[in-house]
Amino acid sequence: MKKYSQISIKVSDFSEVPFWKKANTIDLICVGYGLTIFILVLVSYILGATDFLPGDPQKLNLALLMAPPGTEGHILGTDFVGRDILSRLIIGIQAYFLPGLLAIAISLILGTCFGVAAGYWEGWIDTIVTYTSNLLNSFPRLVLILLMVAAFKPDIYYIMIVVGITNVPAVASLVKGKIQFLKQKNFIEAAISLGLKTRSIIIKHILWHNCRAILIIQATLGMAEAILMETSLSYLGFGVQEPTPSWGNMVQAGSNYFLQGNFWPSTAPALAILFTIMGFHLLGDGLNNILEGKRNK
Amino acid sequence: MSNGPVLAIENLRTYFFSRSKQAFIRSVDGVTLHIEKGKTLGIVGESGSGKSVTALSTMGLISAEPGVIIGKIGLKTETVQKNLLRDLKDHVKINMSTGRIMSVYKDSLGWQKKINRLMKGIRGKEIAMIFQNPKLSMNPFSSIGKQIAESILLNTSISNRNEAKDKAIYWLEQVKMDSPRLRYYNNPYGLSGGMCQRAMIAMALSSEPSLLIADEPTTGLDATIQSKIVDLLAHLKTSFGVTTMLISHDIDVIKSLSDNVAVMYGGTVLEHGPARTILTSDYKYKHPYTAALLSSIPSQEHIREKKKLQVIEGDVLDTINIPDGCRFFERCNKVTDKIKEQCEHTEPDLREVFPGHKVRCFRFFRT
Repeated sequence: MKKYSQISIKVSDFSEVPFWKKANTIDLICVGYGLTIFILVLVSYILGATDFLPGDPQKLNLALLMAPPGTEGHILGTDFVGRDILSRLIIGIQAYFLPGLLAIAISLILGTCFGVAAGYWEGWIDTIVTYTSNLLNSFPRLVLILLMVAAFKPDIYYIMIVVGITNVPAVASLVKGKIQFLKQKNFIEAAISLGLKTRSIIIKHILWHNCRAILIIQATLGMAEAILMETSLSYLGFGVQEPTPSWGNMVQAGSNYFLQGNFWPSTAPALAILFTIMGFHLLGDGLNNILEGKRNK
Repeated sequence: MSNGPVLAIENLRTYFFSRSKQAFIRSVDGVTLHIEKGKTLGIVGESGSGKSVTALSTMGLISAEPGVIIGKIGLKTETVQKNLLRDLKDHVKINMSTGRIMSVYKDSLGWQKKINRLMKGIRGKEIAMIFQNPKLSMNPFSSIGKQIAESILLNTSISNRNEAKDKAIYWLEQVKMDSPRLRYYNNPYGLSGGMCQRAMIAMALSSEPSLLIADEPTTGLDATIQSKIVDLLAHLKTSFGVTTMLISHDIDVIKSLSDNVAVMYGGTVLEHGPARTILTSDYKYKHPYTAALLSSIPSQEHIREKKKLQVIEGDVLDTINIPDGCRFFERCNKVTDKIKEQCEHTEPDLREVFPGHKVRCFRFFRT
């Protein structure tokens, strides 16, 4: 038997273990799935840019209307004017991704700024931020977007700006709550008493060490929310306009033929939406558990 | 170098405004203290006597409620000499009508800015602080070593990361942390309370301050760890000669560490003098409150003979309605008929009754 004195410990064992080595397998699977979705999105951009699609997403083929999946040349079939569904599906994500990133950027940047200002300095700033976010929250988002569409034009970027702005209160209140929670633990006071600059306390000790997890999760959830928002708007006819393909308007166009037995034009994009949103949610969940929840196991 | 005190607090008043009672809570009400270089000043008193608020006022960490700080905190070290409260009261407006305070308005952002400007180069570099609860006083998501290294990079002339790391490990060794190289990578939740307190002390000392404020450093710890931390502080005191303001309600801790003692009650100092004389039980010039505090500690004699401990009757002073007379009058058991009238209506001032020993009691002098 080995005596205790003989057991040697390497210093490197105790130094910072990378977080993915400490993580749970299920969380890793979730994150892996989410990242796969993310990579697929990037791949679709490459395919679209290099014209490497299975067919032309815009080309009408009136000889082959409503071809069922498995038809030669059209793996997922064609829609009611004979366009290839698979290539439209691949191109379709591009209607969301960049606008979604814009919405996330707006909500995260503005939300973090307002949240930090309200949580850290309190006083009248807090009052203003709280009342403004209550005002924004009390206004139905869909109505705001329809107003925007009516005033300008049904452009996905305009819609996403509104989605981003209406998400600001959620992020701001999350960050503010986190900061107020952290202020009870007096390490911020201790940091002030050590002479740290306010900037470095906020950026390093509050945002980087304590808020990065919730911000990453908010970002992934924001992406899922942007996709859902566009889908519901497309269903009403205010989202991305034909002939530009988006999953929302594909579902909407296909739904007219669903009950006639031609299920594939709407089912394929619907499943794509399902798996993508699931992917972003699982990514957020897994990252949450890895970065914040199950530490020190 | 001149031998003036490092920290001289004169007539410090820290009031908080209570909206529901429309009155000031006078947490600190006229505190006068001074700390000589290389000496340790112990501040004792019951809970709510204003010890911690004094320390926080010195650090400029009072911000939350609409509050007022008046007085003078003079800091004098080799490099800095200034009043830490200069012009601060300009940021507070008090509306009075018919003798009652109706509302207090505080420009808290301006106040905060002013304090940050006043405290620039002082927090950390000149004054460092050890807090009550070590676990909450460190960032839970960063390793203790990194936090110490950060403070070193910020407050000393070292600007190289590797050097700062070596220095942090040196300080962890100095506070007798076992295997400091491994502990460097531990996060605060991976350490026990005592270890965490050691890391806090290392962090405070690592910036080599002129004055160390220890705000109840042993409160959150169990008895054996407490005595170890006290031993550590005593060791550090002899080896580095740090000027310390030690706040505690544990008289034994104060006794073993401090050179001078200030006894606080109801927001003011009742007695200020050398620890040797004040904390021995048979000393003639002693405030009744100090005497009562001392006799409420169980001594060996008490335990052997199973005597009952003396209790100080009554409650801690309500700092909203402070009486005109002596603050300790209601609970005092040494009032004689001769001075009773005077005790009830006029407040005694802190007066020197013996060289270096000041008491606020009419038993030793007459006005």
